[in-house]
Amino acid sequence: MSKYGDVAVIADQIQNDLRPVTFELLGAANDLAEKLGVKVLAIVMGHELGEIPQTLIYNGADKVYVVDQPELKEYSTLPYRRAAIAVLESLERPPHIVLCGATTLGRDLAPRIASYFETGLTADCTDLDIGDYVHKGKADPTKVGTYHNCLYSIRPSFGESLKARIIGPWKNPQMATARTGALVPFKTDTTRTGKIIRVTAKFEETDFRVRVIETAREVSDALDLLKAKVIVSGGFGLGGPEGFDLVRDLASIFGESAVGSSRKAVDSGWIPYSHQVGQTGKTVRPALYIALGISGAIQHRVGMSNSATIIAVNKDETAPIFQFAHYGIVGDLYEVAPLLKEHLKQSMSN
Amino acid sequence: MSDGLKIVVLIKQVPDTSSAAGVNPDGTVDRVRARKMMNPFDQFALQKAIETRNAHGGEIIVVSMGPPPALAILHEACEYGADKGYLLSDRRLAASDTLATAFALFKTIEFIGNVDIVFTGLQTTDGDTAQVGPQIAERLDFPQVTYCEKMSIEGRTIRASRIIDGGIQRLEVDIPALITIANSASRLEHKRFYNVYRTRELLRDKQTLAKTVMTITLDNIGADPARVGLMGSPTVVGKTWKLGEKGGSCKMFQGDSAKHGVETLIESLSEDERGIEEYVL
Repeated sequence: MSKYGDVAVIADQIQNDLRPVTFELLGAANDLAEKLGVKVLAIVMGHELGEIPQTLIYNGADKVYVVDQPELKEYSTLPYRRAAIAVLESLERPPHIVLCGATTLGRDLAPRIASYFETGLTADCTDLDIGDYVHKGKADPTKVGTYHNCLYSIRPSFGESLKARIIGPWKNPQMATARTGALVPFKTDTTRTGKIIRVTAKFEETDFRVRVIETAREVSDALDLLKAKVIVSGGFGLGGPEGFDLVRDLASIFGESAVGSSRKAVDSGWIPYSHQVGQTGKTVRPALYIALGISGAIQHRVGMSNSATIIAVNKDETAPIFQFAHYGIVGDLYEVAPLLKEHLKQSMSN
Repeated sequence: MSDGLKIVVLIKQVPDTSSAAGVNPDGTVDRVRARKMMNPFDQFALQKAIETRNAHGGEIIVVSMGPPPALAILHEACEYGADKGYLLSDRRLAASDTLATAFALFKTIEFIGNVDIVFTGLQTTDGDTAQVGPQIAERLDFPQVTYCEKMSIEGRTIRASRIIDGGIQRLEVDIPALITIANSASRLEHKRFYNVYRTRELLRDKQTLAKTVMTITLDNIGADPARVGLMGSPTVVGKTWKLGEKGGSCKMFQGDSAKHGVETLIESLSEDERGIEEYVL
């Protein structure tokens, strides 16, 4: 038996649809578990989950803890909190690490669980690892020491062009949320086997202080952004909300395309938040990313720098985006984008 | 309720990274020199609080944790229409992570007492965690609505819609509750002359000011110093490093005409080895 507890992943599931981040978390969890010599657990909550527990095994879980009760049909903070705590407290040994998606579900649920266990939680990680840590600080003598096999939660430090490694070996489980698109998903293997364990949560009346009236899911822009092969994004350089007509126009020539945006354009009210790419928006990795009038601040960069090919159009040749784009055109985007559309369309039809 | 709602809005002072002041040449922020502002996300929360108070009556108490200069954002919030403010300021709070910060703010809300609604922004621009709101809700044993876009109140029930991945969820929540407001909600309106005037008068009258916008410490709220600051934080920043620059690998097209630039770009794309031809060419 390993010195450490297992690595647990809380499955990100909405209306029996496992979100992509779940597979990415399972991929990372397998790497972490291998380094620690432990198993990967998945925790899935919902109702009439059908094949989902088996899917989790095929995608990297060694053991799946299932809470399948009618109260969990729709995501709601307090019942899901109760169910997750029921599973974690049912374990003989608390997990060394618990991972959640940095989604509207994980960012809602994980802080409640971390606060309940009075443990550390690092938000929106772009990378996870295992390593040692030496604490020398004098301010808190209780922390001083050398710690082995800590969770390294790596995240960008916004606005400061830095990445930070967050450490918290003093409390277990060590918790982190990770952004969709940041980690490499587990490679599905339908020959994998694993154990499915059913857990029943005991709800209290106070768990239903929030009542879900309706969950309306549409094929939204947000969904498109994560699945799109081509993303055309606009930034502050568009000059105004009407600039997004240009962005949409260029995006329309590609098959599986979506419209993205920088934070500044969202903050200016030019386009809804669901289009935002970056640290506080979506992390995307399309085959082609075209950035129109986006300067490329760290905030945006961390959300799209893994795109296979990046084309940037900006009138300022010193814009940071030209440091990591693959192709750059310096010029007026209102002149360049229509030309780009015309030429790309032409070469696609050939 | 005859007296209306007791509303707390949590706000934070953050570096203004959109201004050049205090941004080092290498892109890092000089937190001391940088211009400061109210966290932009919090402005949506303040607006929702103002709308709620105006529709249902009651008072808005803005709460912040930070060094003494953070009083500026509490005064600013009064100019927008907040009624009262508390700044929790104490050296022992330094190096608090989200768990410790949430504990300190929870104790402050408890100290204020009988709060009906706590509004927060979705997250801050300097921490970007979005964790503190739900962590406070857990300690208060409040239900929560995160990513809230729209809401209305009937009696002791809030009807809210929140963003979820790929859609919207419509909810009913019992008061008391903690609500984090998405940045797709309504924007902060202009300051009303009356509120600006009232705040200016307030700032002149030190006695009334001391009763309206107060600075408090851990001792005032009865928070155990061992549960905040570095000691109360289960996480620390182990190491930071600069993002590796890929600099120089970008093929630039910059010529006399946009047309020439685009044409040479398209030529290069046809030789691109990253496999985009499937989608583009």
